[in-house]
Amino acid sequence: MNDAAPMRAAPAAPPATARRFDAFAIAVRFQSVIGLILVTLGGIVFSPRRHGHILFLAPDNMANIVRAVSETGIIAVGMTFVIITAGIDLSVGALLSLCSVLTATIMTSGGYGLAPTILFVLACGTAFGGAQGLISNRFRLEPFIVTLAGLQVARGLALVISGNQYINISYGQGPGLAPPVFAILGDRLFDNTVPVATLVFVVVAAIATFTLNFTRFGRYVFAVGGNERAARLSGVPVSLVKVSVYAITGLVSGIAGVVHAGQFNFGSANDGTGYELTAIASVVIGGTSLFGGSGSMIGTVAGAVMLGALANILQLNNVNAALQLLATGAIIVLAAVLQSLVRRREGLGR
Amino acid sequence: MNAEPPRPLLSMRGVVKRFGGVQALRGVDFDLRRGEIHALLGENGAGKSTLMNILSGVIEPDGGEMRIEGVATRFSDPRAAQAAGVATIFQELDLVPGLDVTANLFLGREPTRAGVLDRGAMRRAARERLAAVGADIDVDQPVGELSVGRRQMVAVAKALTYASRILVMDEPTAALTAAEVDRLFGVMREIAARGVGIVYISHRLEEVPRVADRVTVLRDGLVAGVAPASAPQSELVRLLVGRPLAELYPKRGAQAGETVLKLERARFAPRRGRAGWQAPDDVSLEVRAGEIVGLAGIMGAGRTELLTALYGAAGPGRWSGVVQIEGRPARLASIRAARGDGVGLVTDDRRGSGLLLRDSVGRNLVLTVLERVSPFFLMSRAKESTLARQAIQAFDVRPPQPEAIVGALSGGNQQKVVLAKEVLGEPRLLLLDEPTRGVDVGAKGEIYARIRTLAERGLGVLIASSEMPELLGLCDRVVVLRKGRTVAEFAGGADEHAVLAAAEQSEDTSP
Repeated sequence: MNDAAPMRAAPAAPPATARRFDAFAIAVRFQSVIGLILVTLGGIVFSPRRHGHILFLAPDNMANIVRAVSETGIIAVGMTFVIITAGIDLSVGALLSLCSVLTATIMTSGGYGLAPTILFVLACGTAFGGAQGLISNRFRLEPFIVTLAGLQVARGLALVISGNQYINISYGQGPGLAPPVFAILGDRLFDNTVPVATLVFVVVAAIATFTLNFTRFGRYVFAVGGNERAARLSGVPVSLVKVSVYAITGLVSGIAGVVHAGQFNFGSANDGTGYELTAIASVVIGGTSLFGGSGSMIGTVAGAVMLGALANILQLNNVNAALQLLATGAIIVLAAVLQSLVRRREGLGR
Repeated sequence: MNAEPPRPLLSMRGVVKRFGGVQALRGVDFDLRRGEIHALLGENGAGKSTLMNILSGVIEPDGGEMRIEGVATRFSDPRAAQAAGVATIFQELDLVPGLDVTANLFLGREPTRAGVLDRGAMRRAARERLAAVGADIDVDQPVGELSVGRRQMVAVAKALTYASRILVMDEPTAALTAAEVDRLFGVMREIAARGVGIVYISHRLEEVPRVADRVTVLRDGLVAGVAPASAPQSELVRLLVGRPLAELYPKRGAQAGETVLKLERARFAPRRGRAGWQAPDDVSLEVRAGEIVGLAGIMGAGRTELLTALYGAAGPGRWSGVVQIEGRPARLASIRAARGDGVGLVTDDRRGSGLLLRDSVGRNLVLTVLERVSPFFLMSRAKESTLARQAIQAFDVRPPQPEAIVGALSGGNQQKVVLAKEVLGEPRLLLLDEPTRGVDVGAKGEIYARIRTLAERGLGVLIASSEMPELLGLCDRVVVLRKGRTVAEFAGGADEHAVLAAAEQSEDTSP
C-alpha cells in the first residue's frame, strides 16, 4: 500500500469530528419559520381579491389568524416542554374545556373577584397536569396512557360541573355577573388591531422561550429528553422535571381555558376537542423531536401560526374542510421526514 | 497459511465513501484470501466500520470496486450480501433478547413444513450449529438470559448458517472473559480451516498475533499499511496512530493520602433482587487520596454493580457493614446523596447513559454543575462557556469547540467528555467503569495520563475494567472481585496470570 503516503498529502477532507450544520440542516432547523414564510407568500398569491385588495393581508384577516391560533398556540408552547422530555400530553384539550367551565361557573356564581377566580382555575389546571405527571412517574406508566385517561377524566368533570349546558357569562355588577373587564379577552387592542387573546399567547410564548433557553430548568428538560439515564447519573432531578413539565401543560391548558371563556363568554364541556392534536402538530412542525432531547420554542410558535394561516387561506378559497385536513396531514409528514433526513445526515440514526 | 490462490476471495479496490461533508473512505484497497483470518485495525473514525458496512451491504460505496472470487459485486442490502455468502457479526449483536436461542438462529429463515414452523427441525439444527462452534447452550433459553459471552457464541453460530464464504466480526471479544476469548479464537480457526475468509475487527492489539494471519491498518479513510500479524506491536501502533507512541501508561504516582473510601465487610442489599445483578456481598477495600485502585473480576463478578451501588444508583436498597467516605459513615442512598458526599461515576456505557448525544459538548460538560452555572436558576452563558472551555482544554477534547455535537465525536473524545463532565463536579472519589471501552490506542494513553493527573491532584480513583493489562499497568493496587466478594489484592504491575487465576477460581474452593 505504498500509494498511501501521496494520497494522505491530498487536500484533507474536513475531519469527522468537525461536523458542522450545513445549509440543509439549518433550513430544517428553522423549517417552521420557513414554512410560515412560504405559507404567507402562498396566501398572498392565492388570496381572493376584492377591489384590488388582497383579502389575506387585510388587517381583519390577519387578526383573525393570530386570534384563531392563540388557544392551541398557548397549549403548544407548554406541550413543547413535554415533548422535549420525550413525553406526550393528550389531556390538554379536555382540560381547556374543564377550565373554561370552571371559569364560567365561578364567575357566574359571583363574589370571588376576577384575580382570585383566574388564579384558582390556573391552580386547578396545574394540579391536574402535575397529578398526571406524578402518576406516570410514580407507577412508571406511559404518559400516553395516563394523559389519555386524564382526557376522559377532565371531559367527564367538565360535563358533571356544567350539566352538559353552556355556562353563559353575563357582565355587570352584582351577583351572578362577571366583572366587565373580563370581556377584554374577546377584544382587540391598539386601534382595534391586536386581539387580546393573541397578546396572552405572545406573553406565554415569551416566558416559555426564556425558561427553555435561559434557565437551569430548561437545561434539565433537554437533558431528561436527551438521555434520561445520563441526566439521572449527572445528578439532574429527573422525577421532579418529569412531573413539572406536565404541571406546565396543565397550567397552559388552564390559561387557554380562561382565554376561551373570556373570548366566547361561556364555558362548555364540549369545546377544545382535538386541540391536543393541533398542539402536537404545531410542536412537530416546529422541529421538536418526538424522541426528545431537541426542540425549539420559536419553531413551535411559527408552526402554530403556520397551521392557522394555512387553514385561513383554504377557507378564504372555500376549500372544503376535508381537504384542509389532508393538507395539514401532508405538512406534518413532510416536517417529520425532513427531520429524519437530518438525523441520518448527522449519522445519529433513526 | 495455504498457498496464495490465483484469485483472492475478496478484493476491494479504491473504495470511496462520503457522508455529508465527511470523506469516510478515500480510496481503500483490501484483500482477503480463502481460509485467512485478516485483522482490520484502525482508530475510531478511521473507516473500518464503513468499509465493512459496504462489504456486508449495509451501505453502498460512492466509488471503487469489489470483487468476490473475481466477480465484480455490489450489494444493495444486507440480504444480498448474505445470499452471496457474506455474514457479519455486528458489535451490537443482532439478536432478539425475548426470543429463544433456536428462534434467533433461524430468524428470517425459519424452516417450515406445509407453511407451519418446523420447531423440531429447528431445534435439532440449532443444537448442531451450536455444537459446531463448541458452545454448550440450551436452545430453548431466551437469549436475553444468556451471558454476553454466550450471546456472542449464538451470534457466531447464527452467522455461520449463511457465511459460506466470508465472515466479518466487529470487535467480537470486547465483552468476553479470557476463557471465552480462547474458545472463540479456536472456533475462528476451525471456520477458517474450512476455507472461509474471516475479517476480524478489534481494538485489542495483543490479540492480533494470537488469531490473525495478516493485518490491514486503516487511518483517516486510507490504508496505512498491510503487515503480517507477527509484526511487532510497536510497528502496528505506529501505523495506527501515525507516530510512535510514548509509554502507554503513566508513571505511578506520589504518596497516597487520607483514606477516601473505606469498605469493610460491606454488603448492599437491594430491596428488589434482579436476575443477573450481582449485589456487592462482602466487600473490603480502601481507596486513598492520590491512589488509583483497580477492580478486577470476570464478567458477572459484580464490578459494575459495586460501582453503581457506591454511587447510589442501584435503586432502592441498603448498605450494611462499614461504608465510610473520608472517614465518615455514608449511606449513599441516592445519586444526589452520593454526589453530596463527593462521589462521581463515569459509566461503562457513554452512549447509553453518559452523554446527550445530540447535544453540544459544552452543554454536556456542564450537566453535573448546572447549579454552579445558574445562580438564581438563570443560566450564566459566560460561566458556562468558561467552565466548558477549561474542561475541553484540560482533557484535550477535539475539536476544541463547545458547540460541536457530542454524537459526532470519536469514541475517545466522547470518553474524554464523559470524564471531564464528571471531574467538573469536583468529586473526591471518582468511580470509573471501563474507562477506555471502545477507545482507540492513542486516546487510551491520553485518558490514562488524565486519570493519573487527577489522582496526583488528590482524588481517590476506583477503576473497574475487564482489560487486565490496563488495570495492572495503570493502577497502584488491584482488588479482585468474585461473586460480589473481594477475594484478593495485588500490587500494580503484578503478574497477569495470578490475578486472572484469582478472578476465575471456581466457587468451591472459596470458604
